[in-house]
Amino acid sequence: MKRSADKQSKFLYFFKVYKRYLRVYLKMSKNSFVVWFNRGGALFFFLTGKVVRYTFYFAFLFFLVKNTNGFAGFSGNQILFFVATYLLIDTLAQFLFRSVYNFRPLVVSGDLDLVLLKPINTLFRSLLGGTDLIDLITIPPIVFVVCYIGSLLNPSAINVFYYVLLVLNGLLVSASFHVAVLALGIITLEIDHTVMIYRDLVSMGRLPVDIYKEPLKSILTFLVPVGVMVTIPAKAIMGLVSPVGIASSLIFGIALLILSIKFWHFALKKYTSASS
Amino acid sequence: MSKYLQILKISFQQEFTYRLNFIMWRVRNVIQILVFFFLWSSVFAVQGSNYFGYNKEKIIAYAFLLILVRAIVMSSRSVDVAGIISNGELSNLLIKPVNFFKYWITRDVSSKTLNIIFSFFEIVILFLILRPNMFIQTNPLQILLFIASLLIAAFIFFCIAMLTSFVPFWIPEISWGAQFLVIVIFVEFLSGAFFPLDVFPKLIYEFLRFTPFPYLIFVPIKTYLGVENLSTTFGSLSIGLVWSLILWILMKRVWQKGLKIYEAVGR
Repeated sequence: MKRSADKQSKFLYFFKVYKRYLRVYLKMSKNSFVVWFNRGGALFFFLTGKVVRYTFYFAFLFFLVKNTNGFAGFSGNQILFFVATYLLIDTLAQFLFRSVYNFRPLVVSGDLDLVLLKPINTLFRSLLGGTDLIDLITIPPIVFVVCYIGSLLNPSAINVFYYVLLVLNGLLVSASFHVAVLALGIITLEIDHTVMIYRDLVSMGRLPVDIYKEPLKSILTFLVPVGVMVTIPAKAIMGLVSPVGIASSLIFGIALLILSIKFWHFALKKYTSASS
Repeated sequence: MSKYLQILKISFQQEFTYRLNFIMWRVRNVIQILVFFFLWSSVFAVQGSNYFGYNKEKIIAYAFLLILVRAIVMSSRSVDVAGIISNGELSNLLIKPVNFFKYWITRDVSSKTLNIIFSFFEIVILFLILRPNMFIQTNPLQILLFIASLLIAAFIFFCIAMLTSFVPFWIPEISWGAQFLVIVIFVEFLSGAFFPLDVFPKLIYEFLRFTPFPYLIFVPIKTYLGVENLSTTFGSLSIGLVWSLILWILMKRVWQKGLKIYEAVGR
């Protein structure tokens, strides 16, 4: 009887914490949206830029595959689906983890002290503290494109399920990368390109990792798991991934997140509060 | 002249302040080239294939040339002008006995020099690792035209960087927005830095030829590769020259107008 009451109180406690963090997250997102609206023309410039970039990239690949009938053993629609999946995962990651891009100045100036003092998890604040309005606007059209091109591949229901599961796993891998970037930002103050290098590496997954030669292909599959993040979800909808491959990817994603959080805790101990 | 030489020396030393940062910037460039290289290698995987007027040797040369041409044309410090206008630091520069444009051209030269040095090493290293069969131009006239096209391209880029940097005169809160739209998006995609513009259908391609963007990367590389005949190449260089002139005049006018409304906000 007592054990059941304990369980109930624990559940209530976690529910309360979850509610508190959700409230904080919504408040931080609202603040970040307000900042965008106050920057006037900036919203127009960046939104236009993103839309034009996606349009150009799709147009380029469309004309390329139209003339070459696909490449690397994939059809034109399959190639376009790889790109759409990359855009989906990359945009979702940017939408959620935008505050990582502003983390380094906090460390350099010592303002991270102010975050550390707050009664909220520092990693939560640093990782999810700046939801991006522009990405929120671009997500629905990207989802539409993914659904449209995906439908042209005639996937089965189970393959669609695997795809959704692996896209979520891709986000987990992306979160791990962003946590590692935050940790690196504390350890070394000299690099402000780390997050952009991450973006460039992930951009190698715009196309199936099969186009790269060894050892780059293995590096992109296992070491910098762009393959797990983008290629494997896209291949899953085409029925090109076995259930073992799917399970391994999920285990890999979870393990990577645990490792990156450990790295974050290690880095936090190195924080010297310089300049504050 | 000697004061600009001093600016060049100081700028060059400044480039080394954040060494690791600079190396990481170069790593980013190499990653982009690798994507280009492997994408086109898989497109041209079948022996003897020919797409968009290129064979495998020429498209591989395109990838390698991208490293050098980007270093020459797109390495620039003049993109920092937007920031100094929006935070008011421009005032410090205006009271100095230096010509604004010569100052930034000098700083660009220092940035380009360092990037060119690194690009040579990158080309050699990538060549040794990838060992590709690649087209090498041996015609001296074509090489001379290539050098001329590079000078035009670097000048056009300088003018575009300046023009986008002047936007904060009118809208100080978006120091980076205009550059993002024009330099990161339009220049990157429409200059041929991302893919050869021949991929587009003829109508779009012909339209793009009348914008300044192809003269930054695409035309210099095509000139080196000798893909087009000499009269077309001369025609392209002439259009590039006209764009240089138009952008130079426009840049000067916008600068004069901007100075009149500059309020040194933040100072």
